[in-house]
Amino acid sequence: MKQTLGGMLLFVMMIAVLVGILQVLNWIPSAVQDGALQKYDSIDELRSHLKIGTVYAPAYFPRSVQWPPSLVAAQTRPYPAIVTEFARSDAPGETILVITQTALPHPPLAEKLLLAAVRETVRFPFKGREALLEAGVCRNDEPCSRMSWHEGAFRLSLVMRSSPAELVRIAESMIVSQPGGSLTR
Amino acid sequence: MYLAQSFLHSLIAALIVDTALIAWKIEAPVMRQRFRLLVLIVPILSFPVYQFLSPDRSSALFRLGALFDISRWFSLELWGMFPVGALFLLVLAFTAVLFVMQEMLPIARHTLSPEDGVLEGAVPEPESRVTRALESLPGQKPDVFIIDDEEFVMFSSTSKKAAIYLSGGLVERLTIDELRAAIAHEIGHIHRSRRPVMVVLFLIRVIMFYNPIVLMEFRRIVQEEEKICDDVAAALTGNRTALAGALRKFYFTEEGEERTQMMNTAPSLRDRIEEYSHTLLIEDRISRLEEPSDPRTKGSVVFFIVLATILAVNYYLV
Repeated sequence: MKQTLGGMLLFVMMIAVLVGILQVLNWIPSAVQDGALQKYDSIDELRSHLKIGTVYAPAYFPRSVQWPPSLVAAQTRPYPAIVTEFARSDAPGETILVITQTALPHPPLAEKLLLAAVRETVRFPFKGREALLEAGVCRNDEPCSRMSWHEGAFRLSLVMRSSPAELVRIAESMIVSQPGGSLTR
Repeated sequence: MYLAQSFLHSLIAALIVDTALIAWKIEAPVMRQRFRLLVLIVPILSFPVYQFLSPDRSSALFRLGALFDISRWFSLELWGMFPVGALFLLVLAFTAVLFVMQEMLPIARHTLSPEDGVLEGAVPEPESRVTRALESLPGQKPDVFIIDDEEFVMFSSTSKKAAIYLSGGLVERLTIDELRAAIAHEIGHIHRSRRPVMVVLFLIRVIMFYNPIVLMEFRRIVQEEEKICDDVAAALTGNRTALAGALRKFYFTEEGEERTQMMNTAPSLRDRIEEYSHTLLIEDRISRLEEPSDPRTKGSVVFFIVLATILAVNYYLV
């Protein structure tokens, strides 16, 4: 018993050292080279730190979406990508909207909201671009919709726990008039 | 992503298992082998199971909060031009080539060889030392054949009709106790080869052909297997030092040199490294047999603590 407890103590200490080493190893890439995926306090801070030409953000938010974003993260390596997450206004711990902006032709960063099943897909003209709108359900059979289109050198994608109507309004508010334009709130 | 995470998970599992073996001073080869199996099995299943239980695990938010995100290293460029991710793929490719050359090709050659299964040897005389050594062993005994060879040769075939083959040179040099211990060791291999777990183990090895950690851990499991069969032999004969003596004569000359070094051509660096590690293993086996045995094989509580630690730490490695 004494040996088991002594072993346990030594084991816990060695695991703590291992965890510490892993954290240091996780920090090294961002210390030696800029551009790794990193969290930012706001979209403005992101703009000032990263050399990503245009950061797209909606001007319109329904009441159910809380401002400011609960997460703003971006990377420039291996390719430029931004992910912005918004919480539900009545449940701040719950993500309701995720916007990703990814340099073409790379795949978008994995989103927190995933459509578990797509029930309807439609392509439609969207302010001079072609957008893809998908309606379906997220986990727990909650209604979810996703909209994506190409905007200049980026692919924009919005996923929201709601019907497509709200999502399209949010997407429309991200485009001013000319392709490649940007808005911030 | 599966390749990267299975590699990472096996690396951390190997470190945690080694830590546990040191912390709890686990010496019994059966237990050590059981712990090492975790390094092979956990990484195959961990990634799909984690993703199933928590699809958010691959999201940017999770990665930002993770203990270690391997993709941060993959995008790192050495000297501003060579991504670490490419280096990682090279290591996996090299491991895959090593696996094919060192493990699959010999098996394929053996299977396709027209002489497969034709092993010629003489049945030992009824009053010979081999027969006497065999008779004094308990339990069911396999067939034993003597090969006409002055070199030290000993192996067992583990097919349906298992048999042990000994060279004349070996029979001449070993004492009857040493012969009994050596035969008992081979009986241990024959009995253990009938367990389905060994087949499953090799299948896992094949699935993870690209993983260098699994390659190393598989070899360590094979080394533990030798020690397990040493313990089987010691249990059957009740004489640990006899097997130690047999091993010493089998692998070392009377002058203490390793027998495999007595070759005409100069060994390459790789051969010398392999010989060195092999010598260390044999010396470790001999010293184990010469020390008082520690029959403790308990450790199921520790096993579950280690398994839980591996699963918990690996969950936060993406």
